[in-house]
Amino acid sequence: MSEPVIVAAYVERLARALEFDPALARRVRREVEDHLWEAVSAHPSQDRLEAERRAVANFGDPQSVAAQFAAVSLARQARTVGLGAIMVIAAVFVAMRARLVWYAVMAWPAGPMGSLGAIVLSIDRYAFWLALFVGIAGVTYIAGRPIPAALTPEYRAQLRRFHLVCLAATGALIVSIICDGVLTSLRVSGAPRSPGALVPLVSMAIEVVCAGGLVVSIRSMAKRSRHLRSAA
Amino acid sequence: MEGEMLKGHLDMIVLAALSAGPAHGYAIIEEIKRTSAGAFDLPEGTVYPVLHRLEQAGLLSGRWVTADSRRRRRVYSLTKRGQRELGEQRAVWEQFAEAIGKLFKGRRACQNPS
Repeated sequence: MSEPVIVAAYVERLARALEFDPALARRVRREVEDHLWEAVSAHPSQDRLEAERRAVANFGDPQSVAAQFAAVSLARQARTVGLGAIMVIAAVFVAMRARLVWYAVMAWPAGPMGSLGAIVLSIDRYAFWLALFVGIAGVTYIAGRPIPAALTPEYRAQLRRFHLVCLAATGALIVSIICDGVLTSLRVSGAPRSPGALVPLVSMAIEVVCAGGLVVSIRSMAKRSRHLRSAA
Repeated sequence: MEGEMLKGHLDMIVLAALSAGPAHGYAIIEEIKRTSAGAFDLPEGTVYPVLHRLEQAGLLSGRWVTADSRRRRRVYSLTKRGQRELGEQRAVWEQFAEAIGKLFKGRRACQNPS
């Protein structure tokens, strides 16, 4: 009996073209492999190699099939990033509120806020609300686009716009977090040293980690998009 | 049928093929070929991205099962949303086909006034 080389090589090529999304590559490999073996066993020919050749030919060019899967993958990632951005903004808001509640409960001294503190506070507020509104606009925009059958130039342009909106929202959020950091350090530095000071610092750390996660996911989306553009 | 024309209606074709009940990719393709009497002859690989996309859009749900061959395969079925979408697409298509049919009948009458 001949070695099942043709199907295996085809599936390998397809999976390699999808390696930018390992979970998708694994799923497609399993699904397509099952399809091709089913087609081979349904083929009337006794010649196994001929049956494999026919099954692979009927399936189509692996690069073209991979490009269609890539569109679905990229659309899914963009939606995940959009929802992630909203969740990160919400988490930063919760951390900010928790810190303020902590100050109130512990009757924490206001610290040397002065006019610098007032300016930073207003920048903080405007930046945060800007991040939230831009983030919601981005999610609404990308969720309202139908997932295309292929990576069309139109969908690429939509993804580029969404990427810019995400960058704007993240930029505003980072400004807000920097302002939070300034305000927190003013407040902590003006109070007597105590273990309680760890609470505002931990809440700041949560904000920084959330923003970092968002930056990483946006970079990953941009990287995948670039990879697919260069592969096309 | 022309490939591009077919691709434009592939979502509806796949949804319609699944209206008979849950099926895996190979069975869906076979059902499409059988019911269209071979008129819809697409590269089989184009159906799988459509299945993924429709699942992503919430029109299909998929689950892994183990086949008799002991291979794992994904079986798809229409969700409630998918059934609604198919109903809407069918209504639009029937309206469109009826209008085109009338147009062609009118044209034949013009060409053959006797």
